[in-house]
Amino acid sequence: MSFEVFRDVAQPIIAGFGITARRLAEQKVTVQYPDDRREQFPRTRWRHVLTRYDSGLERCIGCSLCAGACPARCIYVEASENTDQERYSPGERYAKRYEINMLRCIFCGYCQEACPTGAIVLRKDFELANYEREDFVYTKEMLLEPIRG
Amino acid sequence: MAAVANVPLVKVSINDVEIEVPKGELIVESVKRLGLEIPIFCYHPRMKPVGMCRMCLVEVGFKQQDGSVRKMPKPQAGCTLPASEGMVVYTDTEPIHADRRGVLEFLLINHPLDCPICDRGGECPLQNNTMAYGPSTSRFIELKRHLPKAFPLSTYVTLDLERCIQCGRCVRFTEEISGDHDLAFRFRGADMQPSTFQLTDFESKFSGNVIEICPVGALTSAKYRFRARPWDLETTPSVCTVCSNGCNVWFDHRAGKFVRINGRANEAVNEEWTCDKGKFGHEHYNAADRPTQPLVRQGDGFAPTSWSGAYDPVLAAFAEGGDRVAALVGPRVSNEALFLLRRLFERAFKSARVSSNWRRTPGSGSVQGTIADVESGGPVLVFGTSLADDLPIVHLRLRKGATNAGARVVNAFSRPTEVDRFAAVSLHYRPGSELALARGLHGLLAGTGATAEAVEAETGVPADRLREAVEVLKEGGTALSSQGLYDLSDGPQIVEALAGIARATGGRSECWATGANEQGAIELGLAGEGATATLQACAEGRVKALWLVAADPFALHPDRALVERALETVEFLVVQSPVGSEALAYASVVLPTALPAEQDGTYTNCERRVQRVQPAVPPPGDGKPDWRVFSECLLRALPETPLFNPREVMEAIAAEVPAFAGCRYEALGPEGTVLGGNLLDTPDEPAMVGGQA
Amino acid sequence: MAEYKLLLEHADDPAYRTLAGYQAKGGYQALRKAVGMDRQAVIDEVKKSGLRGRGGAGFPTWIKWNGIEKEKTAPHYILCNADEGEPGTFKDKQIMETVPFLMVEGMTIAGWATQGDHGYVYIRAEFCDAAKAVRQAIDEAYAAGLLGKDILGTGWDFDLDIHLGAGSYECGEESALMSSLMGERGMPRLKFPHAPLPTVAGLWDRPTVINNVETYACAPFIVERGGDWYATLGASTKNSRGTKIFSVSGHLNRPGNYEIEFGTTLGELIDLAGGVKGGALKACVPGGSSVQILRGDGLRDAVIGYEEMWEAGSMVGSGGCMVLNEHTCIVSFIWRTAQFYAMESCGKCTPCREGTKWMLQIMERIVRGNGQPGDMDLLMEITKQIDGRSFCGLGDAAAWPVAAALKVFPEEFEYFIKHGRSMIDTPQARALAPRWAQTVGV
Repeated sequence: MSFEVFRDVAQPIIAGFGITARRLAEQKVTVQYPDDRREQFPRTRWRHVLTRYDSGLERCIGCSLCAGACPARCIYVEASENTDQERYSPGERYAKRYEINMLRCIFCGYCQEACPTGAIVLRKDFELANYEREDFVYTKEMLLEPIRG
Repeated sequence: MAAVANVPLVKVSINDVEIEVPKGELIVESVKRLGLEIPIFCYHPRMKPVGMCRMCLVEVGFKQQDGSVRKMPKPQAGCTLPASEGMVVYTDTEPIHADRRGVLEFLLINHPLDCPICDRGGECPLQNNTMAYGPSTSRFIELKRHLPKAFPLSTYVTLDLERCIQCGRCVRFTEEISGDHDLAFRFRGADMQPSTFQLTDFESKFSGNVIEICPVGALTSAKYRFRARPWDLETTPSVCTVCSNGCNVWFDHRAGKFVRINGRANEAVNEEWTCDKGKFGHEHYNAADRPTQPLVRQGDGFAPTSWSGAYDPVLAAFAEGGDRVAALVGPRVSNEALFLLRRLFERAFKSARVSSNWRRTPGSGSVQGTIADVESGGPVLVFGTSLADDLPIVHLRLRKGATNAGARVVNAFSRPTEVDRFAAVSLHYRPGSELALARGLHGLLAGTGATAEAVEAETGVPADRLREAVEVLKEGGTALSSQGLYDLSDGPQIVEALAGIARATGGRSECWATGANEQGAIELGLAGEGATATLQACAEGRVKALWLVAADPFALHPDRALVERALETVEFLVVQSPVGSEALAYASVVLPTALPAEQDGTYTNCERRVQRVQPAVPPPGDGKPDWRVFSECLLRALPETPLFNPREVMEAIAAEVPAFAGCRYEALGPEGTVLGGNLLDTPDEPAMVGGQA
Repeated sequence: MAEYKLLLEHADDPAYRTLAGYQAKGGYQALRKAVGMDRQAVIDEVKKSGLRGRGGAGFPTWIKWNGIEKEKTAPHYILCNADEGEPGTFKDKQIMETVPFLMVEGMTIAGWATQGDHGYVYIRAEFCDAAKAVRQAIDEAYAAGLLGKDILGTGWDFDLDIHLGAGSYECGEESALMSSLMGERGMPRLKFPHAPLPTVAGLWDRPTVINNVETYACAPFIVERGGDWYATLGASTKNSRGTKIFSVSGHLNRPGNYEIEFGTTLGELIDLAGGVKGGALKACVPGGSSVQILRGDGLRDAVIGYEEMWEAGSMVGSGGCMVLNEHTCIVSFIWRTAQFYAMESCGKCTPCREGTKWMLQIMERIVRGNGQPGDMDLLMEITKQIDGRSFCGLGDAAAWPVAAALKVFPEEFEYFIKHGRSMIDTPQARALAPRWAQTVGV
């Protein structure tokens, strides 16, 4: 093996393996998804959630401001009136239907910004894949936070 | 609004720009000539200015002899200030901005700011003015005023007292426009609130208008409550087809569904008002029982079919033609559909038995003037009709004529009506004595020797009242009635007597239709033999096949037994209807059609004004417009070139029906066009409103 | 200068309240003289007299009378504003109760001068005795032919009637008074330059003269003794002539109505009423609750006259002079004033309706001891947002006392806000304190 061959072929290979050897002991960057999940950043904007007050009442009052703010026009709200017998939210008005078309959503977070009661928030759940297109229209039942406690 | 010739012009200076305006014009209107705007709440162009809200404050001065300007020490309300020579107005100075901020701060301190759930949010003058002129923060830290929310003022109007800014528009509407004085303020100072007198229901027949003129969300529609936000809505200009007035409306819809009706300005017809029947009477657009696909009879039930599957049995059943087939048309069918129906029956079935007249007696009424003529100020005899029910907008215009132009009104009806409130003379006759009264009045006016005492004996109207009425009417009295008179057994004679009255006084004789296109059917020659005759022929088995076009005989005809007999006896019954009706149960074939705002077409209102409607929402399911059904039947029955769209149908109408000569969609214009008016010399451009020299 | 009793000369004489007694003292001589004069000559006498409206604004009376059309095209109305509602003022009450014929005769003279057809006395409903006295006077005048058809053989008809108000301060404002008289809600109407003057289109849109009780009561003297004579009264002032009745109330030994010539000083007026009671003079509101408060020092020399008072920082107003001694807490005083205006605002215009309530809420918070540092500036700002922006004078009248007190006694407000209690901490003040504290509920 001439010097040239060693210098141009073998040495880079050995150097490469050297880097590999040095990194062997370090922590791995690759995450074994879905067994392992990476921690999301605090302000990550993914799947929407309709939150509740501590009392269990829905925060959403069906005002449709999110739909007005939405640049992708993917939110549909239909409001109705609370009665004393059937109360969903404090005050007079609640959302009877609340739908978000996740295929259209661009996760800009304007809906969260527009919301006067802090009802709609974008949380960290990013696993939105599904099999049917229809299943991407998230209904109010899907979006609503379960009652705590 | 064009300047009236005899009002002198004065020079005023607005923000240092000199313009000439008619003397006495309000400054709030004058600034619009320069494209400026003064923010307002209480001011409404159709009502007297009151200067309550103080939002329109402007700086005002007067030019002195030496050319200097002497400013008034206090800002003045622009909405009440009439322009005068040498007036100097500033609308955009720093003190004025401060005043506007101040007024808005005051208005907002007790306002609940519940915009997110307020039905007015998004189209609210208070929101808009606050965004444009208001302070960004409030210095108010005290307790806000708390009052009942969502108080039901009536079935239609919901009052939220917390949101009210006490501008008085609603109160003034009931005082100045509808004239029923239903609303008033109670309490005073910061506790002042609008309410009905005695806290009764808000019973006005025009109550829906206060929802639109309320500059905040204090008065909202109970029907529209929480149904949509303004940015969710699409809107289409349309025409109300509940009655014959043909009010221009905005048809608001969301995702293909009707949501609400708002008034649309048309100075010739409804100005900007609507009646409650029109504003709240469109809920059937969303009715669950509307037919959605053609159905054919199968035993006791129906089997859904395609349109061709429905046309075949229909055309087969009607092929016999002649007097053995008939059609009855409802009052809300467009001109185009009526015309094609007539053509279908004339050409394909060789039958003249098409009738749109559901009245007891035949008659075609009389139209000599326009709705706007009613407010001109001449004396008017309202005969045998409750105007606010039958012709609501005519009622408003007549009231305007009585209060603003001093028109003297004689109201003759068997019971008290809203017209009595402003009528100079009220004649309450015994039911059934209409003809005697009309002939008696005619006799008294024509001086044919009739005596008031004799008329009193026949009608029960005091002789003195009759003489007063004659005194009022003798100079150009117009006789105004509705074709509801034809529901009386002596209807034609009464209408003839009323025409005699008009001839005797030199006024006009008006007997106006009440159905949305009743007048159109008359113009198109579809009055026919009358529904009663046709139904009798059906009951006696003389008619084999009957076609009901958007007509529910159970609702339109008073004789229920006759209707039942007729529908049971007739061999083949086509029910072509946009809505569910009792007649569907008798049908051999059901054809689902479109309601007026679901199709293209024109309607002829009571003053013969042709106005266009456009498809705002799609008909449910397979529903088709009436004109298309007839066009497709014609195509199948005859080897003719079909008419493909309503525009072509109108051209055919104009060519065949003399009354519609010259009528084209292009010539209708934004306000519609009165038949026989200046139709023939209208240019091709559709716009011909305002701006006429 | 002592009292000058012109109107109230015979106020203590019960016989003067009857027509016989009134005529025995020279009553109705003026009307007899007037009907012998040219109508314009009567107005000219009033012009010469320099008489100005006694209701508060001080508008020259002859201009109103002269503004009525000379060529009669419609009925003319003569209105008397007897809806005396200004806190601190009670002069009209006494005029009507003790010398009602002066007012009746004065209205008749005004009716003659302006070809009036019908007069109305709009009396505050609470003035039962006054209404009774005026009613009786009118009835007697009718019986004697001094009202009704063909008065004194002139062929001129003039009717006079009483209308009782329904308890609204706002109805003392002339256009609101007319609304109320016409059966409408007692709210002010548009005024010049937004609408014609009442002299052109007033009551029922007809030419209307409207004056205060005291103004009318001056008319008989002017006609009888001549405008030039009347103008000699108060000649020392710039432009105020005649006498003025002041209702002096507050911390005084002899509160009551005192008639004085213009040109008298406030100090003399206070002395007439027996001097200040229970402590040194602290402040004075010279013309009824809506005018600006004056500080005690230097106030005694202030000359009473429309222009002179304006220069001193206040106004003659309706003559309701309220005198406060050193134990008075100005903050509580203004709180009570604010309460009155918030209660009496008619609700028509935004600044007055919302502003008076807001001022009251802030004042109430301060008086409860919850004042905040910015409150004084905020109050001042609110008064500026009301003053001149409201529909009628009520808004101005509600803003002035607050603004003036903030300007004249800022230290008291500062103290109250900072410490949560009044700066005036004398035993006498404490004795008073529970009374208002109870009302507020602290």
